[in-house]
Amino acid sequence: MTALPEADGAGRAHGWVAHLRDGGTTPWLAWSGAGAPLPGPLPGAQQLELLRRINLAAGSSAGSRGDRHRERTRLADRVLAAPAAGRGKADLALVGAAHRGFGPAPVDPATVSAHELLRVASVVLADDLVALGPDPVATSWPRPWRRRVRLVGDPLVAAATREHLLGKGRPEGGPRPFVVAIGRPLDELLAHTWTQRCFETGATPWAEWLRFWRERDQLPARADLVASVQRWGGRRPFVRVVTDLDLLPRQAGVRSLPAVRVPGADQAELARRVAAVVGLRVDRKDRPGLMRTLQRRIPDSGVAPVGVPAREHQWVERSAARTVRAVQRAGYAVVGDLAGLEPRAGAPSGATGPDDRQVLDLAIRMIVDPGWRERRGGHQGDEEVER
Amino acid sequence: MSKRVLLHVGCPKTGTSYLQDVLFRNQKVLREHDILYPADRFDAHFLAALDLMTLPWGGLETEAVGAWDRLAEQVRDWHGTAIVSHEIFARATPTQVARALESLGDAEVHLVLSVRDLVRQIPAEWQENVKHRSHITYAAFLETIRDPARDSRIGSWFWAVQEIPDILDRWGASLPPSQVHLVTVPPSGSDRGELWRRFSRTFGLDGLDLDLAAERENPSLGVPETSLLRTINQRVTSIIAPPDYRPLVRELLAHQTLSRGVASARLGLPPDDHAWAQALCRDWVGAMSERGYDVSGSLDDLLGPDLGTFADPDTVPADELLPPALDTISALLVEGARLRAVEERLHEELREAREERDRARLTPSYRVKRRIVTSLEDSAAGRGALDVYRRARGRA
Repeated sequence: MTALPEADGAGRAHGWVAHLRDGGTTPWLAWSGAGAPLPGPLPGAQQLELLRRINLAAGSSAGSRGDRHRERTRLADRVLAAPAAGRGKADLALVGAAHRGFGPAPVDPATVSAHELLRVASVVLADDLVALGPDPVATSWPRPWRRRVRLVGDPLVAAATREHLLGKGRPEGGPRPFVVAIGRPLDELLAHTWTQRCFETGATPWAEWLRFWRERDQLPARADLVASVQRWGGRRPFVRVVTDLDLLPRQAGVRSLPAVRVPGADQAELARRVAAVVGLRVDRKDRPGLMRTLQRRIPDSGVAPVGVPAREHQWVERSAARTVRAVQRAGYAVVGDLAGLEPRAGAPSGATGPDDRQVLDLAIRMIVDPGWRERRGGHQGDEEVER
Repeated sequence: MSKRVLLHVGCPKTGTSYLQDVLFRNQKVLREHDILYPADRFDAHFLAALDLMTLPWGGLETEAVGAWDRLAEQVRDWHGTAIVSHEIFARATPTQVARALESLGDAEVHLVLSVRDLVRQIPAEWQENVKHRSHITYAAFLETIRDPARDSRIGSWFWAVQEIPDILDRWGASLPPSQVHLVTVPPSGSDRGELWRRFSRTFGLDGLDLDLAAERENPSLGVPETSLLRTINQRVTSIIAPPDYRPLVRELLAHQTLSRGVASARLGLPPDDHAWAQALCRDWVGAMSERGYDVSGSLDDLLGPDLGTFADPDTVPADELLPPALDTISALLVEGARLRAVEERLHEELREAREERDRARLTPSYRVKRRIVTSLEDSAAGRGALDVYRRARGRA
């Protein structure tokens, strides 16, 4: 890097913005060069620091030219223009730059929390997702002889199974279907319910969501197996409660089902934040398709899924016992063992919820590496495809 | 092309709900005078603000998709004066302000900011927080907003929508001072019509035959009523979702029930906070008086009332909470009875529909068909045959 002249606050800030737009990674406090005034307002510390972290992750060096440079500048401009979603801090001024004396105190961008940076990153990713559009949904002609089923229970497994069946010409529903309630240990079922909701409409944060249901002493609609069966008017001979997933394919009328991908806590949390922004960008009817696309394409990170924290264990155990009693009283056929509805012994002792830093790492990785946007997902080929 | 846009961006708790209600209900009269208030629903400009600022809002944001661009387009296409008004625009960042002003085209933009002294705004904002599910105590609220770091969610929001010079810096930086208009809320005890006269003068509505009857206001609560609501929030915020909280607690309890306690003590500031708020307002007045803005009312209105008797909402005795608590129970029982009646009526309608269906099914031909369908559904071949038949009949 060439030596730059010392500059006043405003000139230094403009110089730093230009440096970051060019792929630079120098922290604000270490920056001393000047730059020409920008046409618009100075971006906030959140946007600038996120861009610096993105540049760091991209391993870029200032001064490169060509398509990569243009692409990087385009991305930089998008990051700098992205608002921080939701109620939180306003755009923060840079400490040491010109300040009018009113508004929030200027900050060193390096101290901006991961939570604040995620507010900006989720907007960039939501815009990427909207620009990408929904992946096609694979369908094929419905097989007339298919077994009619209605899937309820574990939303992660049900959604994956539903999609697979649709691609195989065995769409859910039809006249007098078997209601197949997919049961899991209740702690896992709750985690799957929240996770799947993050990839649909979004949700409140994991801990808050759990507390909501615990204090109500109720189960979320999709985690309440008996209520789910009743909602679909399931009559006893036509109901199967499946607690052994190995036996699910037969109940669904197929030989096998693909393995279900369980998103990690960071993936779910990022999806939760992105879903809120997507809700502001597209019509309500278009959000599910986009979020399903994100669920398919979100890169793996190796982080464990969310787990039920110790303070909720008693409630989960009580609720599971109530569910077991309700299934027994209703007399539904159980495929597997009813004990499979009880929470697992030795539930997670470590972190049970998302860590903002891990979520930010994932978000930055997705912004830097467009791979997840480039591969077309879905099952294509000789099957009929519709949006 | 619109000649002029009056962009009213705040502040909250300055009579904005009343103004917006008058503008919404009088759209036709306004149009006849070449004034556009483009709103197909009362909260249209609120939704536009959510869209402009990327603000999720308890699920309401899904109704806001594209709302700002639609609003801006209507404003651009209007030939006369257009009015845009919502108080949460006050929170927009400089980048969002730049986008908003750019999207209004080449119309002459006039910024309007209605303002009130912090001595009255701080208690009002705490009440507003309580009416939006918060159970923060008044003392904690005061401590939060006095924290210079403004790190908390409450503190950052409060100052974003209440720090008048900062709002003017963000929204008015690119406008000449003559196009920035301040409407000060008159002191307590002033004639009730005075605030409207100030709005009317600023928005150029003088002489128009408008229906000014108040249909929608955001009434304030007394000290025991706010204290009770905060206590209720402690119990219910974590178990009542926003879509249920809005109609049941905010509307039914706060607006329709507890706001009737007009004889209750009004909330003010403790002495130390009062002195701090007045000193801050004095600084603001000093800064703004040099900027040459058009002021409807007087900047001195921003100094606020003198210190009065302070009733602490964090220590309201139980006997003062009892009357509003009984009112609350009564209102909820009446609402419960109303909902039971609705439920009963729906059950009755469902029962009638089922009876009608069962009567239709009593015919011998239906019974024979049903038996055939039932037996076919039990085998794969039968299901296939039924599917083919249904497709042929166009029922698949």
